[in-house]
This record gives sequence, structure tokens and C-alpha cells, in this order.
Amino acid sequence: MNTKELTKGFFKENPTFIIMLGMCPTLGVTTQVVNALGMGAGVLFVLFFSNVLIAALKNVIPNSVRIPCYIVIIASFVTIVEMVLHAFVPSIYDALGVYLPLIVVNCIILGRAEAFANKNTVGDSALDAIGMGLGFTMSLSLIALIREVFGKGTITLFAIGNWNGVITIPGLYEWPVRVVSLAAGALLLMGYLKAFFQWFSENRKAKGAAK
Amino acid sequence: MKKYLKTALILCAICGAAALLLAVVNSLTAPKIAAYEEEQKQAVLGAVSNGEAIGDFHSVSGVSNITGYYGLGKSSFILMLSTTGYGGEITLAAAYDTNGKLTAAKVLSDSETPGLGKKSEESWYMDKFLGKSSNMPTKKTELSTEDAQAISGASVTFTGISKALLAGSSYVTSVLKGGKN
Repeated sequence: MNTKELTKGFFKENPTFIIMLGMCPTLGVTTQVVNALGMGAGVLFVLFFSNVLIAALKNVIPNSVRIPCYIVIIASFVTIVEMVLHAFVPSIYDALGVYLPLIVVNCIILGRAEAFANKNTVGDSALDAIGMGLGFTMSLSLIALIREVFGKGTITLFAIGNWNGVITIPGLYEWPVRVVSLAAGALLLMGYLKAFFQWFSENRKAKGAAK
Repeated sequence: MKKYLKTALILCAICGAAALLLAVVNSLTAPKIAAYEEEQKQAVLGAVSNGEAIGDFHSVSGVSNITGYYGLGKSSFILMLSTTGYGGEITLAAAYDTNGKLTAAKVLSDSETPGLGKKSEESWYMDKFLGKSSNMPTKKTELSTEDAQAISGASVTFTGISKALLAGSSYVTSVLKGGKN
């Protein structure tokens, strides 16, 4: 087992900012922090089980039909997550709504199956899935945090008991920069964050080469 | 030939295993999901009934937007409405008096976008329709600036819901009026 497989998803091969996968949910769900966390958790779960199963079955699945097999496996796990959440934790099921079935078409999951799980061991694939899933969740949460704070002046988390889960930021709540919470703002922000991550990773590479 | 047959069999086996797994999970979760949905429905009915006794359910077919109704108290009704929003079907429970005036309404199920059409689930959303009958606002221009801003970005949801509520009102005045229930 290689811990590098776990940590690479956080920064070096961050699925959102470096590999640029799963852009649709990234732009679509990041209007509120709670959506980003819910989506991230769903992706992490499905990614973990699909990666492990695909790595375990990599010698059984014929090369010519590998994509249909991956899709069947991924879609089954998403459906299981959907049914279990609906039955046992309906509040989270309601909160995630339409984003839950959309996990099936998330490029990160199919991308990791194709690029990693079908060439590596079960253990490494599990670590890769956890790393990529966490990296995706962190990226989504970062974008959502910036968009919600500046675009709405709030931070929405899960409601607990009597607390409705919304933190209001005085000043920004009354005068939000509304464009940040709209689609145009999401694209602009994505561009800036991508540029920042690009700069940071180039910088790190240059430092590594100098050593 | 043998190679293709093997490939097809493996794909078939994977699909079969996935279907079996889903069937098992479904059989375990379906009763709980049904119970949860019934509970949700009862909660919504309770919320729109305003404490009055809810009568039997009468199903309605062939009328657009209306799937059925319950008698409410002596002369009111709760209509079960169905309409199309941005993300698919929206179902609502709406209470009307005999004159077709909306007294309460609540969304039962929807697949709208969080932050936009999903706002229709919130309690303030229906306020703009309450007390209205044939003069139900169905366009953004018929709303106050504040209400229009609140539904901004989710006009399809608003149009769907308002048309269903209007259809419900006219159904009460044209078909159910007189408190036959």
C-alpha cells in the first residue's frame, strides 16, 4: 500500500482544480456549503465501492465491454445509496435531492475506474478513491464557501435540532455580491482558483527541480 | 464466436448480480420508504387542513393538474394537485373554501433545483397565493417587486405551481361547489 495514492487527490492530482473532472456538479451544486458537503460525501461513498469492486474484478471484466460494466457497477451503488438514504436518513435524502442520481454521470468516478482501478490493486484503489473523494469534497466546499459567503452573506450547514444550520455574515448578508452566487460567478471563481492551483503546483515543481 | 459469447456472458452476469443486489436492497428499503412517504403526506394534509376534519379521498381522472380531493370540514376541500416544474413533476396539497379561495397550500414532492425551485417547499412561498381564487397570480409581472425577486431564477416552478393552484380553484367553483361532500 502506498500512502501517496491517498494524498495525491488532495492537491497534486486534485480532481477539480488539476485534472478538471466533474465540472458540472462543481458548478451546479456549489451555491450552498451544505450541498457541496452532501455531494462530496455521496461521491466519496460511490467512488470507494466502485473503485474497490472494479479493481477486484479487473481480470474478469473483458476489455471490450469494460465501460458498460463500470457504468452498471457505478449506477448500482448510486441507486443503493439513494434507496438507503431515502429509507433510513430521509432528511439527507431530501437535502441532496436531484444531485444524488447525478453521481452516476460524475466523470471522476468513471475516470478513476478507467485510469486507476482497472490497473492497480484493491488496496491502492481504495486509497485512491478516498484521496480523490476527499479532494473533490474539499474543492467543492472551498468553491461553495466563497460563493455563499460573498454571493449571499450566509454559510449553510446541516440543520441540527432547533438550529436551522444557517450562519449569517453581517454586512455581506445585506449587501451581497450577487454575481458570485450566479453561474457567471461560478465560472469566474473557478478560473481564478484553477490559476492559483496551477501557479502553486508549478512553483512546487520548480522548487523540487532546484533541489 | 466463443470470445463474443464469453464477453456477453460476463456482461450478463455482472448485470444480473447488480439487479439481484438492487432487488434485495429494494425489498429491504421499499416498506420504509412507503411509510415515510405516507407520513410526509399526512403531515402535509395536517398542515393544510388547519385543524379541520379531513374526509375521504376521491380520485379524479381526466382533469389536468387535479389527481383527487378530500372533503375538509363542512364545506371546504383539499385538492391533490400535480404539475410540471423545472425538474419534473411537482405534487401539492391545496385547501380551498367553497368559493375557490385558497386557504393553505404545501408542496408534497418535487425534484426542483436547491436554492431556486426548491424554495417552493418553504412556508412563505405560498403566501402570495393565499386568499386568491380566479385572480391567482400566474405571471411574474403580477407580483409585488419583493415576491418577484423571491421567485427570480425559478420562473418555471412558479408558473407550474400557480397554474395548478388556479386550476384547483376553478375546479372547486365549477365542479365541487355547494359542499356536496
